Amino acid sequence: MPVPRDSSSQSGASPAIGPAEIAALVEPDRVHRRAYTDRAVFDLEMARIFGRAWIFVAHASQIPRPNDLIRTRLGLHDVLATRDGDGRVHVVGNRCTHRGTTLCSVERASAASLVCPYHAWTFGLDGTLRSVPHRKSMPDSFDIADPRLTLFRAPRVADYRGFVFASLAADGPGLEEFLGDMTEALDNLVDRAPDGEIFQDGGIFRLEYRGNWKLHHENANDTMHPGFVHESSVNAAREDGRDYAEPVYDEHQAHTQLLSNGFSVREWQSLGLKGLANGHSYMDGFYSQGVLSPDRDDPLSRDYRAALEAAKGRAAADAILGMDRFNNLIWPNLNINAQYQQIRIVQPVAPDRTIVQAMCFRLGGAPEGMFHRAVRFLTNLSSPASMIFADDVEIFEKVQAGLADGSREWLDQSRGHDAPVDAGAGGGGAGNGRLASPGTSELPIRGQFRAWLDYMTA
Amino acid sequence: MDGPSPEPGAPEPGTPKSGTPDAVDRAAVEAFLYREARLLDDGRYEDWLALFDEDGLYWIPGLPGQTDRFGAVSIVHEDRTVLRMRVRRLGHPRAWSLMPLPRSSHLLGNIAVAAAGDGTVEAVAALQVALYRAGDRTRYDGRQTMRLRPNGGDFRIVLKRIDLIDCDGVQGVMPVPI
Repeated sequence: MPVPRDSSSQSGASPAIGPAEIAALVEPDRVHRRAYTDRAVFDLEMARIFGRAWIFVAHASQIPRPNDLIRTRLGLHDVLATRDGDGRVHVVGNRCTHRGTTLCSVERASAASLVCPYHAWTFGLDGTLRSVPHRKSMPDSFDIADPRLTLFRAPRVADYRGFVFASLAADGPGLEEFLGDMTEALDNLVDRAPDGEIFQDGGIFRLEYRGNWKLHHENANDTMHPGFVHESSVNAAREDGRDYAEPVYDEHQAHTQLLSNGFSVREWQSLGLKGLANGHSYMDGFYSQGVLSPDRDDPLSRDYRAALEAAKGRAAADAILGMDRFNNLIWPNLNINAQYQQIRIVQPVAPDRTIVQAMCFRLGGAPEGMFHRAVRFLTNLSSPASMIFADDVEIFEKVQAGLADGSREWLDQSRGHDAPVDAGAGGGGAGNGRLASPGTSELPIRGQFRAWLDYMTA
Repeated sequence: MDGPSPEPGAPEPGTPKSGTPDAVDRAAVEAFLYREARLLDDGRYEDWLALFDEDGLYWIPGLPGQTDRFGAVSIVHEDRTVLRMRVRRLGHPRAWSLMPLPRSSHLLGNIAVAAAGDGTVEAVAALQVALYRAGDRTRYDGRQTMRLRPNGGDFRIVLKRIDLIDCDGVQGVMPVPI
């Protein structure tokens, strides 16, 4: 079944753009603004990147029981991640095959079938058409088993430890090949649960900004920006005299989170940036700087560590809690913070519009306070009113606005370009294509564009 | 929404109370609400912060009818120790999302006032806030629930809760307290 392509109809007359033209947009140390502003480029991204890569769509805990479903997005497509009566997970189009009507208008539901509100065409959660009313008025040629009457189904759906990904391409690398060593980040998040299960809970933030989707990813492991972009919130925390012995409802968490962007350039430089194949990257050694260490010595942390050690043993607990990575970016749409059990999902809407979803997880078998800590972290960092994220978003929009008028042709991404890149060891066990660089390098951005070119021109 | 509305059996908000020990001076409560809104609209955030009592809380839930402040996300969930950092940041010259500083206009209506039983007063109102910044207008709509503690002829805020009608929808940045 051909992959539905509606982006061209949304864009009006959007001239196709050829591989040579695409390749000319990316140079080793700079990128042309059209990669961020051009509708034809965006349409091609939706077809070639979001139309082929493994896209995170849902977590299994969001559809825990048979007949549960959640509304989500796969590229620009409005889709439902469903669990059928037999427990199998499907990703199906949220569009009736009769007249195109949106089937499900709520974010989550539990239902044995999908009934179109228009003419009651009824589909199973696997997407197959089950019944239509007044069948005898349909022509003789009408065959309810005709695949064309089945809801659009993502050709490939795969689950890595509860993280459900879908691909619009029937063929291509398997999920684990696509993830590469980023499985370590997913493993680490799940392994933090003493009983081995994590549960998405507590609601979801949805924030829209007027900028290109790639800007969020490029910012994630860019360590040169916090000292400037977040100066106001770092300063607010620094000037706030406080006594850490004084018990406050949030354990001083907001204060330490604001402070954490206040590393000196030298401290940022001492972090390691890791760039992997397919545009993935992460920041190494963030928490060891001490400001925001989640492995703290307080009653809650001790109770949690005890639960983890009881379940997995001392050595395993040490290894799990010792993994010290920040912003594990699984390009092109998922960012993981394992220490505080949260993720962000980046959803392109248009060349200059993006929605970021942010949510957190409960660790099965951990004290409830650990979840409260995760909720507070999420609120401080990813709420629409976040004192931190608000300034990031403002900058994304300033960049997008700055690129829109065409007076600037190129974006520079050269920082660290001429520095030696350690492709062999590089702390944290490099290898398997893992590149390591000092913390201030724009290596992750260059890695994203290498992947971008691969998808866009091949 | 099932926010911190009166306990079952408590009088409906707005029930006349004159003559009872719990009598609430409705006019004084309304005057306080208008003053609080005016301080925000005038950008007098330090004075606004001073309206909160020591245990005062500013809460904008992230879910409709949210009852759990800790186990579910909030757009804002801050006590004075966090709010004072928020207010301090508002005055910083390089707070990029606040440059230029937004202007707001608060409108309160359908105000219902009732004694809350623990010596505090609850004032529930429909709230509309228009925000303007650098060419962009934003509207916030919802229900404001204020819990106020009488304090020498005036009040202090124990809780300012705003239940936005789109609290779980797609939002833009909320740059200033509303």
